[in-house]
Amino acid sequence: MKNVSLFIPCTVDLFLPHIGEATVTLLRRLGINPVYHEEQTCCGQPAINAGYQKEAQKAAKHFIKVFGDDEQVVSPSGSCVCTVKYHYPELFENEPEWRRRAEELAPRMFELSQYLVDVLNVEDVGASFAGKVTYHESCHILRGLGVSEQPKKLIKAVQGTQLVPLNAAESCCGFGGEFANNFPDISESMVKDKVENYLSSGADLLLLCEPGCLLNIGGFLSRNHPGKKAMHLANFLAPNGREGQ
Amino acid sequence: MEIQTEQFTAAVKRELQNARSRAFLKVMPPVLNMKRDIGLSTFPNIDAAQAYGAAIRQEAMARLPELLEEFEKNALANGAKVFWARDAKEANETILQLAKERGVKYVTKGKSMVTEEMGLNEILSKNGIEPWETDLGEFIAQQLHRPPFHIVGPAINVAVEEVCDLFMAKANMKEPTLDPVQLGYAARLFLRDKFHHVQMGITGVNMAVAETGTIINVENEGNIRLTKSSPKTQVSVMSLEKVVPTMKDALHMIRLLSRNCTGQKLTAYVSMDSGPKKKDEIDGPAELFILIIDNGRTKIYQDLKARDALRCIRCAACLNICPVYGQIGGYAYGWAYSGPMGQVLNPLLLGLDRTQDLYRATTLCGACKSVCPVGIDHPSMFLYYRSKDVLGDPYWKGKKRPSSEKRFFKAWISAVTRAWLWNLGIRMVRPLINKDAHDGVISKMKGPFQGWFRTRDLPAMAAKTFHDRWKEIKKI
Repeated sequence: MKNVSLFIPCTVDLFLPHIGEATVTLLRRLGINPVYHEEQTCCGQPAINAGYQKEAQKAAKHFIKVFGDDEQVVSPSGSCVCTVKYHYPELFENEPEWRRRAEELAPRMFELSQYLVDVLNVEDVGASFAGKVTYHESCHILRGLGVSEQPKKLIKAVQGTQLVPLNAAESCCGFGGEFANNFPDISESMVKDKVENYLSSGADLLLLCEPGCLLNIGGFLSRNHPGKKAMHLANFLAPNGREGQ
Repeated sequence: MEIQTEQFTAAVKRELQNARSRAFLKVMPPVLNMKRDIGLSTFPNIDAAQAYGAAIRQEAMARLPELLEEFEKNALANGAKVFWARDAKEANETILQLAKERGVKYVTKGKSMVTEEMGLNEILSKNGIEPWETDLGEFIAQQLHRPPFHIVGPAINVAVEEVCDLFMAKANMKEPTLDPVQLGYAARLFLRDKFHHVQMGITGVNMAVAETGTIINVENEGNIRLTKSSPKTQVSVMSLEKVVPTMKDALHMIRLLSRNCTGQKLTAYVSMDSGPKKKDEIDGPAELFILIIDNGRTKIYQDLKARDALRCIRCAACLNICPVYGQIGGYAYGWAYSGPMGQVLNPLLLGLDRTQDLYRATTLCGACKSVCPVGIDHPSMFLYYRSKDVLGDPYWKGKKRPSSEKRFFKAWISAVTRAWLWNLGIRMVRPLINKDAHDGVISKMKGPFQGWFRTRDLPAMAAKTFHDRWKEIKKI
């Protein structure tokens, strides 16, 4: 059985552990053995985004110590993968040895759907769902990693599922970490647009690959449209995970 | 122009409740984006065309001092007079002096963001010289005393009813009308009269060509051409980053600018001035002044990371794609430059202390970067500004962050680097976070995270984190 290292972001660890469990279930079903290093914490993205570079460097060093020797690292969060891939090397502008280690790790980092489709060459994971779904393109996954076709391929291969278009699928949902809390007026307006587009898509379920977007869109749905759900792709694809969110 | 960048949050609230702005923003950006897509599709290879533009601007910035010298030499050889101004004050004084020396009563102006940046109109008015904006949108914005809503269409959001009322109040026309063509005609009649007797015209510069000493303006209304060719004296104000090495470079940048800006292959008017009217020529200005203004650019130039901001050619593609601009419009940015390009430029020109909201009011979604024809990485710039701000960087006037935030990140990092402390911390924080949880959902929370809970729930913190669950999962 092939091993792959799991990186579970703090949002998933603390608030959405079912995404982590679904990721494990899914990988095991595809004959992959997920390995979880218990020393892992947070990739440092909150510090980078808030401008705390020194702190972010420490977080990055910790991450590199934990994951640096792994052949492949997969994570159910594209923004965290972007942090490691793109921001870590920038953080170590003046520390060549750490920069080298960061650059070596970068190509071994994968977002979950990217890993399934591009690395494992899997599209049909054997899941089924009778209904219409639509897909929200998370900014870091779409523009950061260039991942858009991969999740759609996985969704289309799910038996009984119809993938319907989402108007302005590529528009940001308004999460942005601290942005959602610090600029609630703008963020609220953005997530409202996203949810309106979802409601008018005719889909039964909104799928996405980013825990941050899920907290934002899911949190808005929970408050304002309790009958409608958003779900991480891992929970959609893993057996018995569909009621997860 | 009055700088109101500190009032971002209040302006956001106001604009989010402005039904007119909201309705307008739902329609305008998608239309402009569609036009842009169609315009760009006329390039055989869009990515290559954009990358070529980025390379030209990158080269121009790398060679900036040398190119400016070359431009000045060639402009002088063409018969233009070149002035240099370190800041807005010097630039305004130079223009004022030129106007006074010539006994000018009023000037006509082509739309120019740099003169907005300088506050030139206010200075001229105060000294008894009336500045008349001749771009229709700018003409309306000027009379309404509003900052530009959009850098390309400054009054694009103003309702025809409001324009009608304005023109009636200012006696620009005699009979009220809601017909845009008639309204445009009224402005045109009024401005034609101004052009007729104008002594001095002031415009900006879209591109300056080092190898030929030529300045180039692009526009669609013809007003800049009239402003440049009607008066005896032409003053062209150019921020020093506008220079490109060759005419070939300039032509490519015009192709890019037009397509990214309005979706046109080329704007209706492109005027190129290489010096004043020659002896055997029948029209054109008798004297041409080119005013090259620094106003903080050299300071930007000296910081290699910040320097990328100087690549901007003001096409506004980033405004039209920006989800934040798409909600709040241009007023909230509080100055001449709005949207992502304003969020990149204003902090460097005004200081990080006065613009904290600008570089923080972004989700870092990267849409701006994805459309930028000159390769500016806006999200990366925002992160840079934030890091300089946290350090209280004196060069960029970082303000430093609240001590509570600093304490949070200090505590956070000691836990991030020690998994045992991280997991202990989680166990300790959980009851506090979940204090008001019901059925696995938190709907309210006092304290620093109130913003989130105003319209959103949060799942309660899991009784068992993934880390805890792993101990069971790994055995299966």
